[in-house]
Amino acid sequence: MSSRVCRTCGGSDIDVDQARGSAVCTSCGSVLEDNIIVSEVQFVEGSGGVSSAVGQFVSADGPVKAPLLGSGFHTSVGKESRAQTLQGGKRQIQQLGSQLQLNQHCLDTAFNFFKMVVSKHLTRGRKTEHVIAACLYLVCRTEGTPHMLLDLSDLLQVNVYILGKTFLLLARELCINAPAIDPCLYIPRFAHMLEFGVKTHEVSMTALRLVQRMKRDWMHTGRRPSGLCGAALLVAARMHKFRRTVKDVISVVKVCQTTLRKRLTEFEDTPTSQLTIDEFMKVDLEQECDPPSFIAAQHKAKMQQLEQELARKLDDVEGEISCYKDEIETELEKSRPKLRGIYAAYAKEIDPEEAEVLSSTSDPEEQEVEDDELQAATQHLTQDFLCQVIQEEEGRGKKTDDNEVEAGPDMEGAGSQRQAAPLAAILGKLPSAASLGLQQTLDESETGEKPDDEQSEGGELDLDGIDDQEIDKYILNEKEVQVKTELWMKQNADYLKEQKEKEERIKKEKEQGTYKEKPKKSKKKKEQIQASTAGEAIERMLEKKKISSKINYDVLRDLNRGGTGSGGGSSPSRASSDPPNTNTTARKRLNRRRRKKANDTNRDLAANASIMGKRVRLLISSTSKRKKTAVQFYSVGI
Amino acid sequence: MDSSNDEALDIIITNVVATFRTRCHLNLRTIALEGTNVIYKPEVGKVLMKLRKPKITASIWSSGKIICTGATSEDDAKLGARRLARVLQKLGFKVRFSAFKVVNVLAVCSMPFAIHLIDFTKNNRPIASYEPELHPAATYRIKHLKATIQVFSTGSITVTGPNVQNVATAVEQVYPLLFEVQKPLKKKEKS
Repeated sequence: MSSRVCRTCGGSDIDVDQARGSAVCTSCGSVLEDNIIVSEVQFVEGSGGVSSAVGQFVSADGPVKAPLLGSGFHTSVGKESRAQTLQGGKRQIQQLGSQLQLNQHCLDTAFNFFKMVVSKHLTRGRKTEHVIAACLYLVCRTEGTPHMLLDLSDLLQVNVYILGKTFLLLARELCINAPAIDPCLYIPRFAHMLEFGVKTHEVSMTALRLVQRMKRDWMHTGRRPSGLCGAALLVAARMHKFRRTVKDVISVVKVCQTTLRKRLTEFEDTPTSQLTIDEFMKVDLEQECDPPSFIAAQHKAKMQQLEQELARKLDDVEGEISCYKDEIETELEKSRPKLRGIYAAYAKEIDPEEAEVLSSTSDPEEQEVEDDELQAATQHLTQDFLCQVIQEEEGRGKKTDDNEVEAGPDMEGAGSQRQAAPLAAILGKLPSAASLGLQQTLDESETGEKPDDEQSEGGELDLDGIDDQEIDKYILNEKEVQVKTELWMKQNADYLKEQKEKEERIKKEKEQGTYKEKPKKSKKKKEQIQASTAGEAIERMLEKKKISSKINYDVLRDLNRGGTGSGGGSSPSRASSDPPNTNTTARKRLNRRRRKKANDTNRDLAANASIMGKRVRLLISSTSKRKKTAVQFYSVGI
Repeated sequence: MDSSNDEALDIIITNVVATFRTRCHLNLRTIALEGTNVIYKPEVGKVLMKLRKPKITASIWSSGKIICTGATSEDDAKLGARRLARVLQKLGFKVRFSAFKVVNVLAVCSMPFAIHLIDFTKNNRPIASYEPELHPAATYRIKHLKATIQVFSTGSITVTGPNVQNVATAVEQVYPLLFEVQKPLKKKEKS
């Protein structure tokens, strides 16, 4: 725009008048431009003589259209999706951040993180709540505020580890290096919550020194900082003669009692614990300790070494025992040839299937029993047991038919198998003709039954190193299959019924032509809660939200009555003084919040009632028998 | 710095996960009823079969895809997978052993010194992450090897990677980093 040439005369002397907004050539006087657009700031005088600039701030990534209302109540009509996402995110950040008492600077930083996340498309597939919580925690870490991930998960009622996962991912993607958590950050916060009154500062300082000492003693690596803080605060409180029990501390610090005790014992093991209070405040020991888990591992290693030595000594002794064992075995062999002969006869009577059963169960047991062979004593015992067992088996085998034995109940079958196993133990050890004979018959039966399967692979399965007999153990035979089928059917009767019903339903729908491939998710519409009193309404709402099992409604009701009666006094004190029905801190907090909410709603209702005036009171007095301030709000249409 | 150290570090492989396909549809009910050591999970739609030797647990889906876990070496995993395919064959399915692949190897290693995790994380900022509120170990991910190493303050580390070679390389890579931030042992013999 500067020094243009006049069109009519060619002169370059052009006078631009900002006030009139015109450009005039001074030589010929022709008007070159009218209504020049000016980029100046204009001021307007407001009421009371205050002058303010005219105009609105428009952000670079804001909506394309200028916002119609400037007061912050942005309507979502005519905005892009991205802008809506950012707006929604900002709102949630403000909400969550105010609950954590973060200052505006932190909230703005969190919003910037959120914008980065959205632009990198990391919000896809994740709940916005989680992403926002992660952004806020990121800010807390970079700013060094004493907020724990646990706090956030408390507020959102989400598992800590889920939030942690999201947080780690965001930190990695945004390349933000959050500095490591220092337990010292949490001490002032916890100290305040423990209510030390005037001496809070001194106790905090003592606790800080303790934590630093713990750091030097390697107690803090790999541990939750809150646990260390809890232990330090407990000791510090006792040092300053405050009686704080373990329960008080854990309710503030949010770790479990066991953890706290463990930290205390670990601290006890360090040499610092031996100092007196005065010494501790003055002296700082030079030595550093090894981490407690390292010490535990070393301890374990020592124990293992001792055990190994003992085992070696035992081995020497065992050498003698094995000599005795051999002698005993030879004695027993001599006393057994009769049984073997009978057993061989028995073996020839039974079917090949039965034999297969015996062998199929014998081999795996054999392996286990072979392990036992190392212990002389157990062998001795099993041999005695076997003598008895074999005598029983003789009797059983000769009494009944083979079919009866086979078709017997599962217990008997299992029993015979079990007895077959110790039999196999003998067979395994003693190279008797009977056992060899048995195995031969088994081999024949097996190869007879399944000659084809081994060849029908298609050439792609390499059978090197695969023992077919072993493989066959993994397959049950027909009788066993029947028994198992029965059992399974009985066990899963419900599931099978459901499946049948489902199939029938699908068939019907197909016939009707209304069969849908996938069940569509029906959107749940929130029902209007119909209730006659505020207390009932709250109860029903809580029921619908399904948190009701942890709340004692009697107390809640009383609270409502008491609260409404006095016009909603100080809710927090009342909530905290209520008899704690629940044990855990999470529940307590939940209760407190619920009651707070209940009281708030009551107060709101009371206020509304007064606004509505007499008419409402008339309605109430005629309908409900409860106290005046109970409001029938839905019928009035609040 | 010596990556292979004076006293050899024992890398113990604790778990090998492998997958393979049988190229045929499997009837889970048949397997469940006719096999020993099987657990049928109809809600999920798979059968768990446990082999004794090698000690392996296999998840069998009806599509014919099978995942084998619990082996202690790659060869063991292959042997177990073949055994499993043999069992299925004997049950009557037309099994073809194909697409065998070792997917994950988990190994454990123990350093003879303790490690200062915070310094370790500071030195290796973007690659290592340490969140004491969530997990007591620092996680170190090597992208080009696709290996993840979890470092504990006692000096023991667990390494997971796609095969045994990668795991060994990962340990060698990370050893010098750990050596830098080691904590010298003051008291070796405590009363």
